[in-house]
Amino acid sequence: MFRRHNITARIFERQIHTPAPGTSIHRARRFYENIVPASTIYEVECPDNSFRKFTEDGKYLISFSRNHQDLIVYRPTWLSFSCKQEDCDNQPLPPKAKKFESFFTQLYSVPLASANELICKDFFLYAETNQFGLFATSTAQIYDAPATGGAIQGVPSIEKITFHLLRLEDGVVLDERVFRNDYINLAHSMGVFLFDDLLAIVSLRYQRIHILQIRDSGSLVDLRAIGEFCREDDELFLNSSAQALSSVDKRAPHHTPVNNAVNGSPLEQPAQENPFLSGIKQRLLSFIVRGIQNEEKDETMRIQSLKKKFYFHFQDYVDLIIWKVQFLDRHHLLIKFGSVDGAVSRNADNHPAFFAVYNMESTEIIAFYQPFNILQMSSDELYLLFEQYCDHFHVPSKSSPYMNFISSHSNNIHALEQLRSSKNKATSFPLFIKKVLVSLPFNCQSQSPSPYFDQSLFRFDEKLISAADRHRQSTDHPIKFILRRPPHTLKFKIKPGPEAGITDCRTKRISSFLFHPILPLALSVQQTLFLQPAVVNIHFRR
Amino acid sequence: MGSSWDVGNWPSFDPHNFSQLRPNDPSAPSTPITYHPTHERTLPPPDQVISSEAKNILLRQFYQRGDEKLRPKRAAPENLSPEQECKHPRASFASSSEPPK
Repeated sequence: MFRRHNITARIFERQIHTPAPGTSIHRARRFYENIVPASTIYEVECPDNSFRKFTEDGKYLISFSRNHQDLIVYRPTWLSFSCKQEDCDNQPLPPKAKKFESFFTQLYSVPLASANELICKDFFLYAETNQFGLFATSTAQIYDAPATGGAIQGVPSIEKITFHLLRLEDGVVLDERVFRNDYINLAHSMGVFLFDDLLAIVSLRYQRIHILQIRDSGSLVDLRAIGEFCREDDELFLNSSAQALSSVDKRAPHHTPVNNAVNGSPLEQPAQENPFLSGIKQRLLSFIVRGIQNEEKDETMRIQSLKKKFYFHFQDYVDLIIWKVQFLDRHHLLIKFGSVDGAVSRNADNHPAFFAVYNMESTEIIAFYQPFNILQMSSDELYLLFEQYCDHFHVPSKSSPYMNFISSHSNNIHALEQLRSSKNKATSFPLFIKKVLVSLPFNCQSQSPSPYFDQSLFRFDEKLISAADRHRQSTDHPIKFILRRPPHTLKFKIKPGPEAGITDCRTKRISSFLFHPILPLALSVQQTLFLQPAVVNIHFRR
Repeated sequence: MGSSWDVGNWPSFDPHNFSQLRPNDPSAPSTPITYHPTHERTLPPPDQVISSEAKNILLRQFYQRGDEKLRPKRAAPENLSPEQECKHPRASFASSSEPPK
């Protein structure tokens, strides 16, 4: 059906036609085809900060000082100027347009990190309902840390990681949570997941998932710590029964404890020497065993199957550690397991990944998927679910309704076509599945909700720019945004870097793009890998 | 002819078409007759409570596959393709809250 593209015609049509059921937001977003950030101001004079992102409601721009110790928050405003000539639209912009302050007003600057700490500039989570922001500061990483106190050997240690909860309206620090001698993956918020008011923090070193709640008053409340113990009172129960048995043993030394669930070894040994696996590892292994047992009806076949599929790989299963976690809803977690080497290495592609769905309330494992096709719990089942229900992995919460409109292959035909074509082009299906499942569990708030990334509105080169906020290789050519619908015209271009381009082609440059979620405003930041000041361009609708 | 339906003298193809129609008598308002079913095949069970499903569709799929794995298998090997699974009768989800055996 041919729809008129003229903005006035669209506004008139909006007055008389109601949109098709369930598409009112899609129709409203189509106006972004007409209002585009086509003007660029090159090399804006801006303070030397590292700009992180716009918050999802568009109210704040988060940036950190160059020395990674202060947080500076700006409010996006708009350039305003007066023009006395006749033809104002075609007049060049006044010189104050080149100033950062014309577009943003600084609200406050708060020092978050003390002397030997640095703010992790890749970490920022926003709780939209209360306008709280979560930031992280950490001290330096120690690589060869000894495995003390229940820590896993091979995982580095950080002396102090602090999470700061700030009210972004005025920059008041509401609460802090400190983790000592621990290791949490802070890059791109990988080790932390925020869903509504629940926070899941993965401590890689001690293999615990800390579940916290952000209260409206701004305090961080511990709910549970999953890992060694599944329920909140497990530790209390085990300790009290250990104490009771030790007191029984003292009174009757000839009495041998029979079938003692807590201790398989003599009571003098400390609790760490306990050969029994507890907590989530026990749940996982028992789920695998029950699955294998149920496959065979015949008793001898069952034992054979168990030997071959479980006991042969027993040590590998026991050595699995938690890599990453996300919420699937308020009670369920999707946990990715793997080996210790894979957790620490930058390129996790070579290490097999295992996925489990865990119910926090009933402390049961619901599903488990592994990369080998031994059992029927293989990753291609998980891939099929991901293909069909991708949006449910991007857990939508009531407090952030914009999440439903970020293009994914479950809500957008063009993204689905892209996925299908890469599936058909893939030479090996298991490798393709592995590549796709690397992105699970998802990083929280890593995609920009800007309508300019909506695949049904615009077509753009995904390798050069996309909704995911990560740094990309910078090119000299501007990045084009072309309309998806007829008349398929080029609507606007984003060109990072100086207007004339860079003459020195040897230095590698990376760019990052910050799109405002609502206004036709975008920042492109191009930096070289050395400590030269970044080149910031502002793209906006004039 | 024979039609008492002459509210407004509307044109009609055949004047006998509406001869059976009894127009609403504004002087004696009557409520329309309620339909009572003559059989009991479609009655809901007396203790039925309709509520929304707490789990989203993805979690329902995880639970369904988990339940099928833990149920003792039939002799014939099952082909666990997703299309066929959608057509199986849904297992009761109350079983997921039972403690593991």
